[in-house]
Amino acid sequence: MRGNDQKNKGRLYFIRYWQLYVMMALPLLYFLLFKYVPMFGNVLAFRRYRPGMGPFGTEWVGLTYFRRFWSDPAFWRAFRNTLVLSLINLVVNFPIPIIFAILLNEVRIIPFKRMVQTVSYMPRFISTVVVIAILGELLSPSSGIFNILRQQLFGKAPIYFINEEKYFRIIYVLIDTWQYTGWTAIIYLAAITGISPDLYEAATIDGASRTQQIFYVTIPSIMPTIMVMLILNIGRLLSLGFEKVLLLYTPDNSMVSDIIDTLVYRTGLANQNYSYATAIGLFSGIIGIILVSSSNALSRRLTGEGVY
Amino acid sequence: MSRVRSSSRLFTLVVYLVMIFTVAVCLIPLLYMAALSISSPKAIINNEVFLIPKGITFESYAKIFTYPNFFRAYGNTFFYTFAGTAISLALMIVFAYPLSKPRLKGTRGVMKLVIFSMFFSGGLIPNYLLISSLRLTNTRWAMLLPFAINQFNLILLINFFKTIPADLEEAAIIDGLDWMGILLKIILPLSGAALATVGLYTAVFFWNDWFHGLIYLKSSQFPVMLFLRNIVTGTSMVGDAAGAGDKSTIAISIKSAVIVTSTLPIIVLYPFLQRYFVKGVMIGAVKG
Repeated sequence: MRGNDQKNKGRLYFIRYWQLYVMMALPLLYFLLFKYVPMFGNVLAFRRYRPGMGPFGTEWVGLTYFRRFWSDPAFWRAFRNTLVLSLINLVVNFPIPIIFAILLNEVRIIPFKRMVQTVSYMPRFISTVVVIAILGELLSPSSGIFNILRQQLFGKAPIYFINEEKYFRIIYVLIDTWQYTGWTAIIYLAAITGISPDLYEAATIDGASRTQQIFYVTIPSIMPTIMVMLILNIGRLLSLGFEKVLLLYTPDNSMVSDIIDTLVYRTGLANQNYSYATAIGLFSGIIGIILVSSSNALSRRLTGEGVY
Repeated sequence: MSRVRSSSRLFTLVVYLVMIFTVAVCLIPLLYMAALSISSPKAIINNEVFLIPKGITFESYAKIFTYPNFFRAYGNTFFYTFAGTAISLALMIVFAYPLSKPRLKGTRGVMKLVIFSMFFSGGLIPNYLLISSLRLTNTRWAMLLPFAINQFNLILLINFFKTIPADLEEAAIIDGLDWMGILLKIILPLSGAALATVGLYTAVFFWNDWFHGLIYLKSSQFPVMLFLRNIVTGTSMVGDAAGAGDKSTIAISIKSAVIVTSTLPIIVLYPFLQRYFVKGVMIGAVKG
């Protein structure tokens, strides 16, 4: 009796909702094909690849490729470059949007504030290729404004900034500042908007100046958001802007600009060592997921709430 | 009291200076390119051009549109952007709508699949091998299909659909609409802001993509950003830029014209959609 009931219920459920399942079918299939098949394609890291024999390789070779990159100095150089570049980027570009959002919130002329917002979000939408191309012009040794000024004001010889090892990291980080400061500030601005005006009123009554209000009201109030963003950023430590690095990469700066992603690209696609490159990619993917889940666990412990 | 007031005035000054500096830094590179693109090669070679164009001429624009490579790449980019955004939005809408109903059986499992794939993915090589074993390399599909569903945008849509009151759907069911009808006639008309946001992100992604063109396509299918990248790295020449005058200065004004032309559509479109996407960012930021 009860079984019959359940069967009926199941049928009713199906009659009521089948359209929703049909809707999901195509995108779900898509998802499995384009996201999950490549995920399982990672087994190639443990298998030998033969051209024309499918994307999953031909025979098991165990940890051969892992051992190979483990003893490859090029891998360790890329690993160190990735970490160093990420850390510098975090130290510089994590606080800047916070400061920017706090200061923007102090702007009382609303049309001006809107204008600043519109302009500062825009770089995020401009192609990295375009950004690098413009930078190439600005920094060009023959016609770039920086070198012209250096020459005219200080009489110094032009520098080929883009090509020199010692400028690579600072250039990368500053491009990131330019592209994402305004955009990232949106989240902090929203957090600041959510602060109760009563707090500021009370602070004013207590005689707090505007700078004091920032330190005693604004920053403590958005601290949870700051923490969550910090944890998110630590979780993403290995994922740099691959395209940006690839565009800035030259043989002359490769000692510092070769990161894991560019190494995978070169060994995999340029030299067609598919299995070897997959092994390197898988290794960094696994570190990435460890970073994300441990930073999420940290967030749960600190704020009582996970990000995911 | 007066000390407090003067320090507050100083603070205000600092705030406005920082803001003006930010606006200047954001705009100057673009204005510089615009100025270069309409200046005469002579003024450029004498280093006379910074933000104000000199010897105004639109020759470089006239020129780039006579280069078959540029013209084709520009057209390709328009195609990738329109087709890619249309396919993306269609797939994400029909995926997000059922997923916005947490009580629908199976959706939780599917959500887990979606979220997991945000943190662990196939990586470059397995993706490349999938596309080539599906025989999509050297076809335009390689630019469209692999990126049709972006998980962040999908979650943004799901979260938006969740905010639409269920009463509306129940009333529609009583009126005899099926789910497809509800989606088309009730949900989508209410989702303008979310669709504009996701549409903008998606269109910008397709417009700016060059890397996948590099690894999957042949040169007649290249998008304009890849064309530009090849000029910048010196992999390809800009049409035949040889002719009267200094080669490198011709290249500068031409390069600038390519940069301006390939960025303009986004800059024109962007202010119209801006009022939506700030809201969209916040919806997306809410936990999924």
